[in-house]
Amino acid sequence: MPTITYGKKDLLNLIGKKLSDEQLEEVIHSMKTNVEEENENEITIELTPDRPDLFGIEGLARAIKQYLGLQTGLKKFAVNSPKLHVKASYLPYRPHLAAAVVRNVSVTDAFIKSLMNIQDILTDTVGRKRKKVAIGIHDFDKIIPNINYIEVDPTEKIVPLDTNEEMTLAEILDKIPKGKDYGHILAGLKKFPVWTDAKGIFSFPPIINSDRTRVTEKTKNLLVELTGIDKETVLQTLNIIVTNFAERGCSIEAVKIFHGDKSEVTPNLNPTFMDVGTDEINKLIGLDLKKSDIIDSLNRMGYDVTENKGLLRVFIPAYRTDILHGVDVIEDVAIGYGFNNFVPQLPHIATVGKLHPAEKLSAKVRQLLIGYGFQEIINPVLSNSTDQFEKMNWKKENVIEIENPVSQEYTCLRICLKPGLLKILGKNTHVSYPQNIFEVGDVVWPDENEETMSKSIRSIAGLMCHSKTSFTDVKSLVDSLLKNLNIGYKLESHDLEEMISGRSAKILANGKYIGNFGEINPTVLNNWGIEIPCSAFEIDLEVL
Amino acid sequence: MVKNYELTPEGRDYLKNGLPEKQLVDILNKQPMKSLPFDEAKKSISNFYIGLQWALKNKWAKSFGKDLVLAKYPEKIPEQKALEEVDKGGDVEQKLIDVLLQRKLIKKIVTSEADKLVGKEVTTLTPQLLKSGLWKQVKFQKYDVSVPVSKVYPGKLHPYRQVIEEVKEKLIGLGFVEAKGPLVESYFWNDDALFMPSDHPARGIHDVFMVKGGRQAKVLDENLWKRVGETHTNGWKTGSSGWGNWNFDLARKLVLRSQTTAVSARTLVKLKKEDIPHKMFVIDKNFRPDVIDAKHFIEFDQCEGIVAGEGLNFRHLLGYLKEIANTFGAEKVRFKPSYFPFTEPSVEGVALIKDMGWVEFGGAGIFRPEVTHPLGVDVPVLAWGLGIGRLAMIKLGISDIRYLYSDNLDWLRNKEVVR
Repeated sequence: MPTITYGKKDLLNLIGKKLSDEQLEEVIHSMKTNVEEENENEITIELTPDRPDLFGIEGLARAIKQYLGLQTGLKKFAVNSPKLHVKASYLPYRPHLAAAVVRNVSVTDAFIKSLMNIQDILTDTVGRKRKKVAIGIHDFDKIIPNINYIEVDPTEKIVPLDTNEEMTLAEILDKIPKGKDYGHILAGLKKFPVWTDAKGIFSFPPIINSDRTRVTEKTKNLLVELTGIDKETVLQTLNIIVTNFAERGCSIEAVKIFHGDKSEVTPNLNPTFMDVGTDEINKLIGLDLKKSDIIDSLNRMGYDVTENKGLLRVFIPAYRTDILHGVDVIEDVAIGYGFNNFVPQLPHIATVGKLHPAEKLSAKVRQLLIGYGFQEIINPVLSNSTDQFEKMNWKKENVIEIENPVSQEYTCLRICLKPGLLKILGKNTHVSYPQNIFEVGDVVWPDENEETMSKSIRSIAGLMCHSKTSFTDVKSLVDSLLKNLNIGYKLESHDLEEMISGRSAKILANGKYIGNFGEINPTVLNNWGIEIPCSAFEIDLEVL
Repeated sequence: MVKNYELTPEGRDYLKNGLPEKQLVDILNKQPMKSLPFDEAKKSISNFYIGLQWALKNKWAKSFGKDLVLAKYPEKIPEQKALEEVDKGGDVEQKLIDVLLQRKLIKKIVTSEADKLVGKEVTTLTPQLLKSGLWKQVKFQKYDVSVPVSKVYPGKLHPYRQVIEEVKEKLIGLGFVEAKGPLVESYFWNDDALFMPSDHPARGIHDVFMVKGGRQAKVLDENLWKRVGETHTNGWKTGSSGWGNWNFDLARKLVLRSQTTAVSARTLVKLKKEDIPHKMFVIDKNFRPDVIDAKHFIEFDQCEGIVAGEGLNFRHLLGYLKEIANTFGAEKVRFKPSYFPFTEPSVEGVALIKDMGWVEFGGAGIFRPEVTHPLGVDVPVLAWGLGIGRLAMIKLGISDIRYLYSDNLDWLRNKEVVR
């Protein structure tokens, strides 16, 4: 989830009301956001990814203003008719673009900070790290029409932002941090997308702008340009950016984009609408709100509401990108009403609760093993092949391996519980003996017959570690355990790699191999750093 | 020398007065005719018949009409001698011992060792002392109750398991049925069936462990996949606008389950009309890449529940959240708006817990129609989830997440049980 730091003074200025820290925190917590950190000057907020319109300080202030009732209902934004024309080539790898001119900006520190913030956070989240959408913001007065969105050879040159060295587009990908970070998006292309004006390239999406059109404290007007691979997202992101600027008193001017002989005008800030019934709303939230209460709630969440054929027609502002379904509007009714004004109530639904059979059996087995004096262990299911195979004297077998492990310790899913238990003994050689431990947990085996090519199997394993432990010891235990579980079984002599030869056995139930036991081989004990004899058993619970 | 046998009262009588057969032959021997009428002989000694039986058997006497006649006066009577020896504690042939035992003239001494203890102080109450009654005649040494003793460790459930069991108990009491699902999942169940868009940021390599080898999940129910795919693309029949696209190949990719909500989806698709209302819960493992330190681990348990039924609403959802918070000793509960891709409305529960302050304890929501309809469910489904590991840490009073998988046997042995 994105975490953003806002200047408190700027935020309160934009809200237009003095709020104490407590009041500010309270209102922030009512809007799907969390205060992470706060000091005298700044407040750091964790936001949910469904509300990118709150990522910018202006959008957040607007929502707070509405929620507090300082300015309710749909916020209307004037869009001046387009003067600027852009000619766009069709670039199949990055086909969609949108742009707007923002006039009368007053570039302050707060403004610059907000501008950089919103650009970074939107391209990171909504823009999926610039792949889906990339944003460029320029000093409009440094751009000289005509403007084109075209593709050019990687040998074309610009002076990238914050440098004074002219370099080719190919060099940018090689040398500049942003080029290295985002160059993979253009991998395999013979030509690169650029925005050009009369003087040449001024933007190289999704990598970097030119230094020539950089925004400075003298900038009066902005050009906002976006490119991307998803049309809807490109348009919505532009809406969020320009409505944020509008909150600072700037005026928005549309741009006309020509795709061959077709043209479109961006941005479009007209609200969309959705019809929702009062009954539907009350049914889902469990209240009996009057129409007027619902409308009041929705107004405080920034919507306008009219009536249409008995339904509420809810007008959705152009910066709200999260409204896919009526339930999204209904949630806002609940938020507007205030979650803590609801009286929680358990429904009167009688159902019979029960444990999963495998868990029920597991609980019985744990009870028995505790009766034998064993301590339960819980180990991670994640393991590695050194533990699972090498240290157990096993040849490596097929296991579920992780493509993107974060640690050498955890690279696969365990197929056996014994290694984890031996590891525990190896780490506790200073602790008093006997050490009798067990685990009841899942192991995972590859299995081509299963839907997800693997099978999770409930397994039990126990280790007895003390100077007098022996085959007889563990055999008595296994016999007692299986008898108590009412499982008939047969034994077969069977040499296991981790056991002393001639001192291990296979357990068969109904002819099926369900487990084994024996005395752990000294080599294996050495591998785990254990200096006291140890006998062990492991039984597959799933087949019981 | 240890005495092994002692005389019975009868044996003692015979030691003093002679065995009855000896008395009998002595009397006969004193008679001038070496004989006596039966009636007189009978009056002359007690235990006449015992003496008669043995005298006849040894052919020392025989009957002659109404008289009893001495046949042969025995030079020695080994049994008489043996009685004397037993009384003195001397050696006696086993054959004779057997005879005397059979005649109940002697008995084995069972408390030979214990005898010595009479009047003395003992440390241990032995079975012999108890059986012989000698415990009444000994003194028991008094112990210093402050002396340190060696430690005893019981077999025990893992502390974390104890918390899990407690939560399960609560949920079963509330009528929830436990479910399970595979740890290796397809993206389809892990995300797509939950209406998480194909390009959702939480589906990248930084948030999900991918299974190596490139094998793909099987499509078991083609119609279901089609419904889910269409819901993503255009909303299908759910009334939603959808996400505008769906990536089928991505849905088939295998991952380590990153949220137990996958199990909720698998449960919903199996529900038949007659199964509703239904309450399900799952407490199981999930995996997500993360740093590994005191606060984070890459494997974690979630406790998740759903309630499917006609007429369920947001207030009911809050009701369940509050009830669950009570399990962890919440003093107060508050609710905050939140966001999960698969629920709307979504809520985060915050509980006031003693010594901890306000703690986020779980997220919840009502499943979006984009989730339930393609799975064939047309009633509201309440869903909630808890990071049970974190709550267990609060309950166990531990601040390091690694204790939930502790390899420290000392800690496990000494940790008090959860109450």
